[in-house]
Amino acid sequence: MRYVSRLLPLLLLAMAPVALAQERIASLNLCLDQLLLEWVAPEKIVSVTWLAGDDHYRRGPLPEGLHLNRGRAEELLKLGPDLVLAGQYGAGRAASRLHELGVRVVKIPDAYSLEQLLQQLQALRSVLGKNPPLEVHYNKLQSLLALQAPAVASGKTGETPTALILSANNITYGSGMLEHQLLERAGFRNLAAEQGAQQLQKVSLEEVIAAQPDLLVLYGGEKDFALAHLATRHPVIRRYIERGRVFTLPAELGFCPALVAGETLEKLTEKRAEFVESQ
Amino acid sequence: MNRSNAILTLIVLALPLALIGALASGPVTIDLGSALASGWRGEGSDAVILWQLRMPRALLAMVVGAALGMGGAAMQGMLRNPLAEPALLGVSSGAALAAILLLYYGLAWQAGWLLPLLAIGGAFAAVACVWLLAGRGASASRLVLAGVAINAFLSALMALALNYAPSMFAMQEIVFWLLGSLANRGWDQLLLAFPFVAVGALLLFSGRNYLRALSLGEASAVSLGYGGRRYPLAILLGIAAAVGAAVAVAGTIGFIGLVVPHLVRPLVRQDPGRLLWASALAGALLLLLADILVLNFIGAQELRIGAVTAFIGAPFFFWLIVSARRAGTL
Repeated sequence: MRYVSRLLPLLLLAMAPVALAQERIASLNLCLDQLLLEWVAPEKIVSVTWLAGDDHYRRGPLPEGLHLNRGRAEELLKLGPDLVLAGQYGAGRAASRLHELGVRVVKIPDAYSLEQLLQQLQALRSVLGKNPPLEVHYNKLQSLLALQAPAVASGKTGETPTALILSANNITYGSGMLEHQLLERAGFRNLAAEQGAQQLQKVSLEEVIAAQPDLLVLYGGEKDFALAHLATRHPVIRRYIERGRVFTLPAELGFCPALVAGETLEKLTEKRAEFVESQ
Repeated sequence: MNRSNAILTLIVLALPLALIGALASGPVTIDLGSALASGWRGEGSDAVILWQLRMPRALLAMVVGAALGMGGAAMQGMLRNPLAEPALLGVSSGAALAAILLLYYGLAWQAGWLLPLLAIGGAFAAVACVWLLAGRGASASRLVLAGVAINAFLSALMALALNYAPSMFAMQEIVFWLLGSLANRGWDQLLLAFPFVAVGALLLFSGRNYLRALSLGEASAVSLGYGGRRYPLAILLGIAAAVGAAVAVAGTIGFIGLVVPHLVRPLVRQDPGRLLWASALAGALLLLLADILVLNFIGAQELRIGAVTAFIGAPFFFWLIVSARRAGTL
């Protein structure tokens, strides 16, 4: 054991020159997997979590030879990464073990609001260095957030259309959630928040129908059968679909909002513009 | 009119009242009168809530309750065993397993008629297994033992099937399949289950004289002309059709099939033929009442209806056992 503990720092020292160039990046977090795969050249990524290979999260084919880790320190150590990205929570033990062994581990904060999203991207910028797609994404999100919500801008709150999110298992999103921020920014009034919901809350189909939102917002992504989706496939929801009064949030918003928040905000704003025109 | 008939009449009269109660129950307060008046094609939110959400749910509760009650009565009659019950003897879990395999691995939303048909097949296979395992004219303990074994095996298979299902929600939905739920059900589920429940009820009803003859013992039934496999098969198919279709859309709701026949048996003077329809009525009423309880007192964080039926049914059963002990009949 003593032999190993002496050898490891030596090994790590040998890798030190590579570390500065950051040519071998690994991730211990589902969302960071996605961000790396999206923005970083595939040859620079040595490992992402096994979840990235799961059909629910995979956005495209994974680069060849990519190691899918299970969040264990030893499997990453073997790959000799010069940068390991970890989330705020999860795989904490592996991250601290790697850090003790001298690997550069950077914790990127999770994001649960638009402000935190900017902080998350800022943290990534400072660790990844010059990265054009990340810059484009960051600047776009920043400029979107600098804009005021359409209703506030026009000063006519009377014409603000209402919206309500209906997700799997009859869950709706209240005022403390990122989804709520996106709706408000796009110029919708989130009815769940107005009725006092702060976080996730159960909402029955009856309450959805009684609230009469102008726009019904569903969460997309899951195509497999689950009773959890029974509510969103109920015939009473079909009326909304037929009238085009439905917006489907991308599944990525749920597990890695940094990927799609800006795009979703734009689409929601477009949807609102359609609404105001049609009225 | 004697007391028993008066109670039966009361059950019949209580059903429409309970239906109104169910239609008035829900998280949203609606104007029931105007919603009813605006008709089934009404566009207002009250009308939509009443006709598209509450009505199919309440009717489904009645249909499923009736199917379970009748299935339990037929099973107790055919197996001449007071502990026979669709859920206890694996009928429900057989149906649920077939439904799970079809829904989570197969055709999912497009399943249509295949869903109740396959569930009925699963129910039939399960009860046939129990029957074969226990042997003809099995004692109560042997039958229950076989039922428990098959039921446990099928429940484990259900959990296994859901564990490997591609959907992310599959594991949490074990609870639904084991305890049942009527939430978010609509006309499509009702229309899917109803024809099969009706066919099952007809089959059971046509076998009522066989059940009566059987209460005299198997040999007497044969001597009365009820020999051969035709009659028990028809009853089994009837149970499988009614219970299987109910389970396919509402999960395995327990206790109704066991308790209801015991509750109404004194009212029909132990007549296994009349017990069928009396159990159907009482089962419909009990499940509807359980659903009203779920809607009014438990709310959106829904306690599964199977747990509520056990809450209502179990005390009745306690009382039944205690009174039978006092009378020295048990």
